[in-house]
Amino acid sequence: MLGGLIEANVQANASKHKDFDALTARVGIWVTDIDEGVTLVFESGRLTVYNGLEPRRTITIRAEAETVMSLSNLKIGVMGMPVYYDGVGRGVALKLLQGKLKIDGMMTNVATLNRVTRIFSVQ
Amino acid sequence: MTVQAFSDEWAAQFKDEVNKSAAYKAAGKGWKWTVGLVVEAEPDKHFPESRGLVMDLFDGDARDIRVGSAGDAQKCDFVITAPYTRWKQVATKELDATKGMLQGKLKLKGDLPTIVRYTKASQELTECTTRVPTQWPDEQ
Repeated sequence: MLGGLIEANVQANASKHKDFDALTARVGIWVTDIDEGVTLVFESGRLTVYNGLEPRRTITIRAEAETVMSLSNLKIGVMGMPVYYDGVGRGVALKLLQGKLKIDGMMTNVATLNRVTRIFSVQ
Repeated sequence: MTVQAFSDEWAAQFKDEVNKSAAYKAAGKGWKWTVGLVVEAEPDKHFPESRGLVMDLFDGDARDIRVGSAGDAQKCDFVITAPYTRWKQVATKELDATKGMLQGKLKLKGDLPTIVRYTKASQELTECTTRVPTQWPDEQ
């Protein structure tokens, strides 16, 4: 489903397509309450989705299903930055502070994370 | 009054629950597409033929919810398909619909970004099904 979501986003939006073409990263998403996840391997305009967490990930996001859906509902604001001051954004930020959303590799890959968020966002 | 799962009476009560729900009214604002639920047959569970639930949902209201054939449901803008047992799990809160879709237990056809934008609305629709007192064919 996550792969399908990204495909639909990229096809429908030129700026997301630009981000998609520029992105090279291995992004793990682990949904903690179903104990399942995927690794999204972005290779400059190509996406391969693997079941489970593959090695050598750039970023790994661990959260409950509802939070993963919230991530895709983050609005994108000025300069292409995710908006953390509206209702959805505050909810995501709170989960991060509470440790209910964990993003390994976040500090060293902020630009990549923002690009992934933009591609993932349906807003 | 307890009603048979996925019958006309069940659909009518489900529609009433949706229209009574303030949470759905708020979360479903802006929604303007039809949704079809395909309930696949499981003869060994006393659900011998597939059925479709056709939902005309508009801007936070249920204009119509009716039972039809699986083919009727498949003509909707969004179609969610699962076997009878899975739908029972959803309606009895054993399976969260969002998790079910992420796991591929509920198969979704339609524009994914749109449905993800309305995650809260779909969760509330699920809540509404749990409020319908239901008689399940496999429990008779």
